[in-house]
Amino acid sequence: MKSKILIILFFSIVINSFSQNINWRNLTKEQKHIVNINIGLDYGTTIGIGYAYKLNTKLPIVLNTEFSIPFGNKVFDDFKTKIGAQAEIIKIGYFSTTLKAHGIFRKYENQMARFLNFGSEFSALAGIYKPKWFLSGELGFDKAITTHVKHSKLAQEYYPEIKNGWYVPSGGNFFYGLQSGFSFKKNDITLKFGKMIQEDFKTNSTIPFYLQLGLNRKL
Amino acid sequence: MKLNSCLTKVTLLLLFSILFSCTQIDPNEPGSLVPKTVDQNATLPSISVNGTLLHAETFGNPNNSMVIFLHGGPGADYRNGLNVKQLADNGYFVVFYDQRGAGLSKRHDKNSYSIQLLLDDLNAVIEHYKTSSNQKVFLFGHSWGGILVSAFINKYPTKITGAILAEAGGLKWDDLKEYIEKSKKLEFFSEATNDALYLDQFFTGTENQHEILDYKIAVQSSFSYANGNVEGIEGPSPFWRYGAVTLNSLVDIAESEGYDFTTNLNQYQKKVLILYSENNKAYDLSVAQKEANYFPIHQIEKIDDTGHEMIYFKWNSIYPKALAYLNSL
Repeated sequence: MKSKILIILFFSIVINSFSQNINWRNLTKEQKHIVNINIGLDYGTTIGIGYAYKLNTKLPIVLNTEFSIPFGNKVFDDFKTKIGAQAEIIKIGYFSTTLKAHGIFRKYENQMARFLNFGSEFSALAGIYKPKWFLSGELGFDKAITTHVKHSKLAQEYYPEIKNGWYVPSGGNFFYGLQSGFSFKKNDITLKFGKMIQEDFKTNSTIPFYLQLGLNRKL
Repeated sequence: MKLNSCLTKVTLLLLFSILFSCTQIDPNEPGSLVPKTVDQNATLPSISVNGTLLHAETFGNPNNSMVIFLHGGPGADYRNGLNVKQLADNGYFVVFYDQRGAGLSKRHDKNSYSIQLLLDDLNAVIEHYKTSSNQKVFLFGHSWGGILVSAFINKYPTKITGAILAEAGGLKWDDLKEYIEKSKKLEFFSEATNDALYLDQFFTGTENQHEILDYKIAVQSSFSYANGNVEGIEGPSPFWRYGAVTLNSLVDIAESEGYDFTTNLNQYQKKVLILYSENNKAYDLSVAQKEANYFPIHQIEKIDDTGHEMIYFKWNSIYPKALAYLNSL
């Protein structure tokens, strides 16, 4: 069991995982699979899909993966994938605390450059989880660990000495906010929103907020 | 479990290969993402004035009437305004400089900026190049550069022989806010807007991490010439470096203090040439007329078939109008 958890944690750290919002109290023993669709504001307006698998462990653990793209007329020039896990580490009555760890791979491309980034996202949630609804606070950190940059011909024409390669470190953002959800039958409608701030706790992103509306279907 | 163990090893190997077999670059390293500035590269032409080092070049006979070009931004540079040097062929001494903290000029910390400091810089540039007390001095400002020209004339109305303003966009803070609202509209579901926003998760820079902040603006600059942009910008135009800290500082100053560079313009008794472009939907004849009316004597000229970056894309249309205006004074 220990090695299994270590593997899960390893994948959480090095590959990625995402933040599918789960109502632990509405997840039955038989429900192993959760599919998700979401829309929101996540460094741009995005739409995403996700899949989660509940492990048969004493400590409630869900492995999950997500793929999202920002809106725009070029579909796959920018995207974000996450893979990882979340575990309910504390449960006292209706109070619950969840830890999430995800690895991230994301891409960005425009007329100036193409970026490929490996990152990680860690977050903690604590709040009230009831069979029909949940409300929790969220605090997390999204770290862009290393980014490969390849500049376009245009960028190299403007600055011929510009360097392509792996840039380390390339950044990070903290985020904090609220998550809530309403559960009915095999579904959860979830909403999360909050604020983002750069790792110096002073500098804001261009849009310093995040927002996500999601629908989970448990199978 | 064997499979898991194997997967772990393979993933570790891949990750370490990626991370450590390649050369790692520090984004803060001067010259890696954006060009070195004059204090980092001594081969660049520069002048030392008013406690800073400015990237500057001149064209023509220094004894001729002086035309100083003021680039846009704030924080951009004069690279896409270099067409103006053609005036040197017509008997003018043309001066280009990157404003404090902008382009290839020396960087400064965010809290060091003020409008008065930029006016003092301009005054120092004029004095640096002036060869006689009766030498004529013209200012040619594009976009933010036009606002700076107005601020200078508003403060020192007797120092300047004439001025050309190409789509300044707001001689008062309220007017500039209106222009920005019209011209930089964020359409949340568009490719251009998401390209500008999505980058924030790849690179972040703190208040004075100049290289990273400058680079981010350079990458995001494609937003300005995206298809269907309101300012009618045809495409990319060359630049050296966007001074993000300069931009952020001056925006903060404008937001907290506001400004009005028109209070004394009615004292200015020289003709001012106002240029506007046909395709900039945020700066039409009514805006040009409004800005022109602050000056008692003015001339308005429309530049056809171009947008806000008219100096780069349609210099041939501007050139005869600018030359005729300068020669008339």
